Amino acid sequence: MSAVDMHAAAKSEAGMSTASRRVARGLFGMILCMLAISCGGSGGADDSGSGTTGGTTTLSGSNVVAAVVNAGPSNNSVNTLFVSVTVCVPGSTTNCQTIDNVEVDTASYGLRILSSVLTLSLPVQTMSSGASLVECTNFVQGYSWGPVALAGVQIGGESAGSVPVQIIGDPNFTNVPDDCTGLGTAVNTVAEFGANAILGVGPFAQDCGSGCAAAAVPTTYYTCSGTNACVATAVPLAMQVQNPVSAFATDNNGVIVQLPSVPAEGSATLSGYLVFGIDTQSNNASNANGTETVLTVDDQDDLTVTFNGQSLPQSFIDSGTNGIYFNDSSLTVCTASGLTDFYCPSATTSFNATLTGANGVTASEQFSVANTQDLLNNNPSFTAFVNLGGTYPGTTTSFDFGLPFYYGRRVATAIEGNTTTVGSGPYFAF
Amino acid sequence: MPRQFLTLLALLACLGPGMACAGLGEPESSVQGDVAKFQGVVNTTEHLTYRTHEIELPSGTVLREFVAPGGAVFAVAWRGPIIPNLRQALGKYFDSYVAAAKVSPVNHRRLDINQLDLVVHAAGHMRSFSGVAYLPQSVPSGVSVGELR
Repeated sequence: MSAVDMHAAAKSEAGMSTASRRVARGLFGMILCMLAISCGGSGGADDSGSGTTGGTTTLSGSNVVAAVVNAGPSNNSVNTLFVSVTVCVPGSTTNCQTIDNVEVDTASYGLRILSSVLTLSLPVQTMSSGASLVECTNFVQGYSWGPVALAGVQIGGESAGSVPVQIIGDPNFTNVPDDCTGLGTAVNTVAEFGANAILGVGPFAQDCGSGCAAAAVPTTYYTCSGTNACVATAVPLAMQVQNPVSAFATDNNGVIVQLPSVPAEGSATLSGYLVFGIDTQSNNASNANGTETVLTVDDQDDLTVTFNGQSLPQSFIDSGTNGIYFNDSSLTVCTASGLTDFYCPSATTSFNATLTGANGVTASEQFSVANTQDLLNNNPSFTAFVNLGGTYPGTTTSFDFGLPFYYGRRVATAIEGNTTTVGSGPYFAF
Repeated sequence: MPRQFLTLLALLACLGPGMACAGLGEPESSVQGDVAKFQGVVNTTEHLTYRTHEIELPSGTVLREFVAPGGAVFAVAWRGPIIPNLRQALGKYFDSYVAAAKVSPVNHRRLDINQLDLVVHAAGHMRSFSGVAYLPQSVPSGVSVGELR
């Protein structure tokens, strides 16, 4: 998709609806190759030691890639973090494709590429029966469907030779099982994701884990053969969609997202880093600020947030969410069309929440929520907002600390089974 | 014996391709069909104004069906690593749910549908999903929707 096309599309959405769409786009967006440092191509040592704003420490090294918040190609994303990823046919160093507009998501696990952007032919994994391995990926609003293929994955100077990745929306696999369509709406296109791919770098090595290895679990993995109905199947851990970081030769125990701070009114764009490894290089030491808190998560990547006297045990930290989402029935909700899932208090309001890890360690977090409509209208071109708050229904037992949580700090995500100098994954530390 | 026969009938009907008898808005007997479909283990608990059938799926996800004194399922709630088949759990309300979800703002971490006849609240991320669907006009008086988890 060319930049011209994308601007034309954005222009066709007039007035308030454009502002609404910007923020309502949700968690997935795209990046243009507007900043050379984010599109440096296919691996090799990455020296991304320039281009930061907001006073963040400059980082460089083969384990560092530039990560950028911007409006994405549709000119409507906010608080969405992107990197560039190169995938190759396994075993080849030339049959490769660099995909930009890849969203960094610390609340999922594994690389998922929208098939429409993939020009490579990646080999789909087959089970011993010869049938293809296809996945039904769960999303709150529905599902994605597509085969699990093998790819070499290069991000900055890090690489893995052969990693199971999902190809979402592959036209060769359209026989979606009833159990999968039973999850709701299909989410299978770039337009629906607002991204070319999702890079799931959360604290687990596989997207499902031991449960899907032990038995066939409906609405997860299936084998598909010809025109026959697909059948739910157990899948060994090594064949499940993998967090690519776990598969790297080095710097493979987790990631650090480091982003500059954002002023109250927001920022036009933001340039920071995705760093691979924790305590493996001079640039990824734990406790760099001297006050790092380590919160482990449970086997569902959740921790507990206490807010307004309520304990919310399904809470999470998530670079793939575009705001701070929580329920506070006393806070005014926006009325503008398309913004009714966001807060619009008359004045910016400050809150305090307590995060409690599965390890019992607590962290007190202050955050503020501004009037979403004002934020968008005052600076229509801005894409990074630290005070953006969204609503959760009152029945929800979750609090979602999205990308604004990451602004102005380093947040480490350690993968399960790995030990660093400050703890054992799965954990978040900041 | 007649009761078992009725259960068997319900079960057989629910195993059909339409699965029309399942879940939300259906008689309590439909719960057995859901248990069979989900290959789950069911636990029944009496509350003051309703009864819950908690079906634990092999995946670890728990589906809880709330039955009003009148005998109909007025809410279903789920929590766990995998979303259950909502076509089964929501039954005849599934199509309405999908239609509403399609026009909701794109957001893969939350869903908030509030219709006169159907409310669906859901949240979560990969490996952790929770949600509730209920029929606002069928919630017994005195029951707080906050209990429907």
